[in-house]
Amino acid sequence: MMTFWRHHRWWLTPTLLILPAAILFSVVILLSALESIWISLHEWDGFSPMVWIGLGNYVELFNDPQFYVSLKNNVIWLVMFMAAPPLGLAIALLVNQKIRGMRLMKSLFFIPLVLASVAVGVVFTWVYTPQLGLLALIFGFFGATAPALLSNEHLVTFAIVIAALWPQIAFCMVLYLAGLNNLSEELIGAGRVDGARGWNMLRHIVLPQLTQVTFIAIAVTVVGALRSFDMVSVMTQGGPFGSSEVLAYQMFEQSIFSYRFGYGAAIASVLFVIMAVFIVWYLTRIIRIEERGA
Amino acid sequence: MTFNLFGRPSSRRTFLMGAGAVSATALAGFPMPAIAQAQDINIISDENNADALAILRKIGDDFGKQAGVKVVINNMDHEAHKTAIRNYLVAGAPDICFWFSGNRMRAFVKRGLFDDISDLFEKEKYKDVLGASAGSVTVDGKQYGLPTGGTLWGMFYRKDVFAQLGATAPANWDDFLAYGAKCKSANLTPIAIGTKELWPAAGWFDQMNLRINGLDKHMALMNGEMSYLDPSLKPVFDQWETLIKQGYFTPDNTSFGWQEAGALLAQKKAGMMNLGAFVRFAFPKEELDQLAFAPFPTIDPKVGRFEEFSLNSVHIPANAKNKQGAREFLSYFYRPENIGPYLEPGGNVPPRNDLPPSKDPLVNAAVDLLKTVQGTSQYYDRDSDPDMAQAGLVGFQEFMAKPERRDAILQRLEGTRKRIYKL
Repeated sequence: MMTFWRHHRWWLTPTLLILPAAILFSVVILLSALESIWISLHEWDGFSPMVWIGLGNYVELFNDPQFYVSLKNNVIWLVMFMAAPPLGLAIALLVNQKIRGMRLMKSLFFIPLVLASVAVGVVFTWVYTPQLGLLALIFGFFGATAPALLSNEHLVTFAIVIAALWPQIAFCMVLYLAGLNNLSEELIGAGRVDGARGWNMLRHIVLPQLTQVTFIAIAVTVVGALRSFDMVSVMTQGGPFGSSEVLAYQMFEQSIFSYRFGYGAAIASVLFVIMAVFIVWYLTRIIRIEERGA
Repeated sequence: MTFNLFGRPSSRRTFLMGAGAVSATALAGFPMPAIAQAQDINIISDENNADALAILRKIGDDFGKQAGVKVVINNMDHEAHKTAIRNYLVAGAPDICFWFSGNRMRAFVKRGLFDDISDLFEKEKYKDVLGASAGSVTVDGKQYGLPTGGTLWGMFYRKDVFAQLGATAPANWDDFLAYGAKCKSANLTPIAIGTKELWPAAGWFDQMNLRINGLDKHMALMNGEMSYLDPSLKPVFDQWETLIKQGYFTPDNTSFGWQEAGALLAQKKAGMMNLGAFVRFAFPKEELDQLAFAPFPTIDPKVGRFEEFSLNSVHIPANAKNKQGAREFLSYFYRPENIGPYLEPGGNVPPRNDLPPSKDPLVNAAVDLLKTVQGTSQYYDRDSDPDMAQAGLVGFQEFMAKPERRDAILQRLEGTRKRIYKL
C-alpha cells in the first residue's frame, strides 16, 4: 500500500486535493446544466411526466415578443453596468487621498456592498414611488411632478439598473482600492522624476498597473448584469406588463408562476449560451496574459 | 504551485486522507435527517398573521398534550409556500398542509397528491355545518380537504369620507358613475388600486364580468371553454375602458402594491377600493371603525347575485406518513372553539355556519351578504389554469395602463388559451 502510494504520489496528491471540489462542481453545476438542457426539450409542469417536444420550446421562444423585450433589457443592463468599473476607479482614487476624515468617507462608500440587494431594491422602490417617494418630494419642491419611473415601460429598466449600479460601483471601488495598495512605489517615484503629474501619471503609470484589477472588475460586472434578477423581482416583478423583465426573471416567471419548466429551461439555455460566449472570451484573455507573463 | 503549505510530510498525509474522506462523503451525498417517529404529526402552514399562527401553535400543543403525541408546526412565508408545496407533496410530505380550495386544490387532486378524506366528512357530519362551501373541496363527489378562512371580495370605503362627500355606497352602475363624478369634483380618486402585484386588476375584471355576464359564462372563461375574443366580453372591456379614460383609478397604479393603494384609501386620498377584508392591515388600528364594506355595484339588473369568495383550505397529502393522526388532529382543529379563534385575527369568513357571531362587524357583514348570494367564483388566479392566470394577470395590468391595446392583449390571451388547452 505504502509503496504504491510512494510511486503514485505525484498524481494522487493533486487528484485527491482537487476531487472534493471537482465532484461538487460536476454535481451542482455541470450535471444541473446538462439536465436543464435536457428538460428544455420537453413540455413539463414540474411534477407530471415529461413530454418530449424536441425543439418546440425554442421555436416558441423565438416567436415570443416577450423574449425580445427581455433580451433588449439584458443588453441595457450590460451597457449601463459598464459604467461601474470607471466610476468605481474614480471613487477609489478620490478616497485614496491621505486627507483627514477619508476613513469615514471610505466606510460610507463601502455601505452598499454589505446591504442585501433586496434591501437596496426596496429602498429604491420607495424613492421612485409616485406622490409619496423621495423623488416625488424633490420634484415637488421645485414645483414639478416626478415621472412615475417604475410605471413607464420605456424608463423602467433604466430606473432599476441605476439602483443596481449603486452596490456594483462600490464593489468595483473596493477592487481598485486593493489594486491601488499594490502600486509599485519605484515606478511612481521614477515617474515623478520624469515630471509626470496628474493625468499623465494616471494614464501612463497607474492604470497599466491596474490592468489585472480592471479585468476582474469588468468580468464580475458582466456576469452581474447578465444574471440580474433580484432587483427586477423586488422592484417591479417584471412589470409594467413585462417591460422590465430580463431573461433570468422571465425564466423564473415561466417556471414558477406558469408551471412551464421546459420553457423556462429553454430560456436558461439561451442565457447559458450568451454567458458561454463571454466566458470563452474571458478564458482566452487569461491564457494569453499568463503566456505573456510566463 | 508546490505543497509546502502543510509543513511536515506526515501531516500532509493525514490531510490527504481527510481530503479522500471528504470526497467519499461528497460521492455518498449528504446524510439524511432521521425519520420522525410514526406518531408525530407534522404540519406545514403558510400563516403570515402572527396572532393566527400563535393560536394555531396553541391548538397543536393542546392536542399534543391530550393525545400524547408531538405536533410539529413548520410555518413558511405565504408566497414561498406556493412554490414549496409542489416539491414537498412529491418528496417528503408532511401529515397536514394548508392550501387553497377550488381549482388550485383540484390540480393536486388530479395528480393524486391529496388524500381523500370523505370518511372524515361522514364521521364528523361536516356537510351539515358547511353548506355550500363543502363544494369547494369536492371533486367527483369526494372531499379532499376542509375549508378554512374565506375572503369575500367587494368595495371598501371610509364612512367619514363618504359623509363628507354626501355619498352612499353605490348600489347600481348609475349610482357608481354619479359617485365617481362627485369624487372628481372633490379632487378625490374614486377607486384606489395598486396593480404592481398584478392580481388586483384581474379581480376588477372578475367583478365586472360577474355583473355583466354572470357566473356560468365567467366560469366557462376560467375553465378555458370560452374564447377571450368572445363578443360577450366586449361590454365588460367597454365599461372598464370608460372608467379608465375618465380617471377613476389611481394614476400610475403599476407603481403601487395593494398595501400602498390601501394606504391611499386610509389617508382619504381615494374613495373606494376593491379588495378583501385584509384591507384592514393598511389602516391604523384606531381608525378601523371607519372602514365599511359594500358589494360591487350591480351593472345588469337581469344578472343574478354572484360574488367573488376565495376559500383557503387544509389537506392531508397523499404521501403523508401518519394519516390517522392527521385525521384526529383535523377533527380537533375544526371544532368551533378552535377554528373560530384561529380565523378571528385575519378577519376572514368562517366556513362553519354554527359559530357564534364574530366580534368584527366586517366579518358579520360578509356572512350576511353571503346568505343572499346565488353562487361564487374564487378569483381569477385561483379559478383559471396557472399558466393562463399568469398571462391574464399581465394582460389586465397592461389594459389598465394602455386601454388602446385591448385587441392585441385579447389576441395574445386567446393565443395562450389555445396553447394551453391544445385547441
